[in-house]
Amino acid sequence: MRLEKCWFCSSTIYPGHGIQFVRNDAKIFRFCRSKCHKNFKMKRNPRKVKWTKAYRQLHGKDMTKDTTFEFERKRNRPERYDRNLTEQTLKAIPLITKIRHDRLEKHISNRHKPGKRKEMEKDSKELDQDIGMLPKKLISNEVTAEKTKIKVKVVQQQTEDNAMEE
Amino acid sequence: MAAFLRSKCPSVGRTLMGGLGNSLFGAANSSVEAVTRSSHCDAISQQIRTFIQMRTNLKVVDNSGAKRVMCIQSLRGKKGARLGDTIIGSVKEAQPRGKVKKGDVVYGVVVRAAMKKGRSDGSEVQFDDNAIVLVNNKGELIGTRVFGPVPHELRKKKHLKILALAEHIV
Repeated sequence: MRLEKCWFCSSTIYPGHGIQFVRNDAKIFRFCRSKCHKNFKMKRNPRKVKWTKAYRQLHGKDMTKDTTFEFERKRNRPERYDRNLTEQTLKAIPLITKIRHDRLEKHISNRHKPGKRKEMEKDSKELDQDIGMLPKKLISNEVTAEKTKIKVKVVQQQTEDNAMEE
Repeated sequence: MAAFLRSKCPSVGRTLMGGLGNSLFGAANSSVEAVTRSSHCDAISQQIRTFIQMRTNLKVVDNSGAKRVMCIQSLRGKKGARLGDTIIGSVKEAQPRGKVKKGDVVYGVVVRAAMKKGRSDGSEVQFDDNAIVLVNNKGELIGTRVFGPVPHELRKKKHLKILALAEHIV
């Protein structure tokens, strides 16, 4: 029994799932479900279809180079049965998947970090330039105090003028 | 943006090699213009593939001389023949100097079927076309070579000679 990868979306195909399509040049395409199979029949390129692993790795959304991938490389030579080796491998598999998952999450969060920095830059720029557009609640007390100061000066001058006129 | 992608491509290609193999590069060339003829493609790609029955045209993939055979009778199954079954056919197209001529009635073993065949491990196999190999009524091959991939379902049907001559067993 061998766990294959879907040709279109690169997910694992477990026994009893999916279809194998054999082309006349003896190339075998395995699909995990009919969604991938139908996309293949429509001649869609998996590198252009957003939800596939091929697209994500090509566009840097998921990590590509990592030592944890080396464990999953296809080996065509069967290993001689060794009970200890089998036990250790079975114990190692969940550890490796956990490490790979953690590294993948870190990669994705690092990808989102520049976005946070950009957001903060945008906010500070907005405070400098468009402070009049912001609702009063968001502006700090110091700034509002400055604003009110200026207003008071203009009012005093007006009253003086009125007194003069009368 | 294109330059960035191109710079990413070499490293990605190498790492993808292990998982996806050469299949992506081979099929990528043929799968570019999908949008323009999508409606036509959909009609063809959503075909439901069924049994090999009377009037089915099959490709002959050995060097017996015939090129196309039309099925007259399937020797197994009420609905028609499947992968690995024998059929009786009439040769519709043949090469000028071959062991069979046009109009001959021949037996054949189906080696590739467009209809899915279930395997004992739960997977399903499907080929690109319907193909047969000509056989005499005793079950011996007429030709001496077999072209293209053949499934190992033939082993169970005791067509070991075909498997021995096959280029590629799936």
